[in-house]
Amino acid sequence: MLKLFKLLGNKRLFVILIALVMFIALMGFTLGPRASLSWPEKFMRDTVGFVQNIFYKPAGYVAGLFKDIGNMREIYEENENLKIALAQYTREKATYNFIEEENKKLQEALKFTEAQMQKYNYSYHIAQVISVNSDPVNQSLVIDLGERDGVKVGQSVISVKGMVGVVSHVSNFTSTVKLITSMDAKDPNSNGIAATSMDNHQTFGIVESYDEASKMLLMNQIKEDDPIKKGDMIVSLGDTDKYPRGLIIGKVKSVEESKFGKTRTAMIQPEAEFQDWKLLFVVFTPEAPK
Amino acid sequence: MTIRKQVLLLLLFLLFIMEGTIVPWILPSSWQNVLMPNLVFIVLLFVSIYHNRHTALVLGIIFGMLHDVVFYGEMIGPFSLVMGFSTYIMGFIFRVRRAPMPLMMTVVILGSLLFDSMLYAIYRLFSLTQVTYDWNLLHHILPNLVLHFVFGLIIYVPLRKQLEKIASRERKEKAA
Repeated sequence: MLKLFKLLGNKRLFVILIALVMFIALMGFTLGPRASLSWPEKFMRDTVGFVQNIFYKPAGYVAGLFKDIGNMREIYEENENLKIALAQYTREKATYNFIEEENKKLQEALKFTEAQMQKYNYSYHIAQVISVNSDPVNQSLVIDLGERDGVKVGQSVISVKGMVGVVSHVSNFTSTVKLITSMDAKDPNSNGIAATSMDNHQTFGIVESYDEASKMLLMNQIKEDDPIKKGDMIVSLGDTDKYPRGLIIGKVKSVEESKFGKTRTAMIQPEAEFQDWKLLFVVFTPEAPK
Repeated sequence: MTIRKQVLLLLLFLLFIMEGTIVPWILPSSWQNVLMPNLVFIVLLFVSIYHNRHTALVLGIIFGMLHDVVFYGEMIGPFSLVMGFSTYIMGFIFRVRRAPMPLMMTVVILGSLLFDSMLYAIYRLFSLTQVTYDWNLLHHILPNLVLHFVFGLIIYVPLRKQLEKIASRERKEKAA
């Protein structure tokens, strides 16, 4: 140790140690939940976001063009499948309209308050991805909606296919989305998603962590007599005010006995593809009256 | 002389922007979650060896901070700390005037290893990641290393020329 002191010179070592302590303090301070960002941070994010916006879209178009040429053959087949899906959709739309109308009448008959009726009336705002973080542990995206557009911390973000993540920090014109692949039961900042199956609402579990090695989400606390089975589509339950109802999370790949017995754990293959980011939707829940 | 330095700064910023916007599109889709190229860091390693390690330290802290603030997922600080520290240490260990190419490539390899390992260590310390080091090494650090190495080879000739011009002019100014 003495030799090391001589090698570095006492003053330099001192400065390094102080810097190290400062950095660890900074990390510890910013790790917890923060109400809002300070103005230098906001300014930096918006300026960089503006420049990133100029680059990301054209790059996406060029890359997309090459991919489209590669995918030309698959388009015919895809078109066929879409036609079938559309026919199914039109049929179901008719039934849906009947049920919704009936539901509204029943709600009025039961004297639902305005807040109760509007509870599940979500709106989806389209957002353009403007850059992608290059760090797989702390995965995040930057989107071009910010405080000005009414985005708030904690809102869910979905892609066309399924749930992607949660807005983690907001500045005036951009916001950061923390992906659900960085979800972790041990992390105090990440909230588990109460989830159920799309076809069978008896199912209940909490999606709260992501296994990086197998690229699967883990759904815990499933009861032993739960009807969950392989291939079920898992959606968010929306009982808490953290997550809206009915966001698609993924398909069940396997169900296993949990480590401690008594409950089971399901491995869920996320529906959203965490690559080639383009358009996302921010889910706005109706304002709760105060 | 000062113009050349400002151009270097501007290029670093441009590289930082490209890292988040264009690089993900260039990589094949299946690699997008495997590779995490940090191109600014490689350029800073060159600055540290051929120009001045103190400049590299300051630039590392600034650009690391930029990365931390823009992609604010968990906390601010890890990139800033690791980028500053590892560029400085690499410059400190390899204090060679006019380092030849093989030596510079060794610096790129060691620096890349140090950078990713330290980043992993910090995330592990704050228990933000649960994977083991071996898994991380195989799936993130080594693929990254290859990419960094290739990038280092590409920028070696032009960057070294420019950096040595800056350094030699500064020496002349000091002598005068």
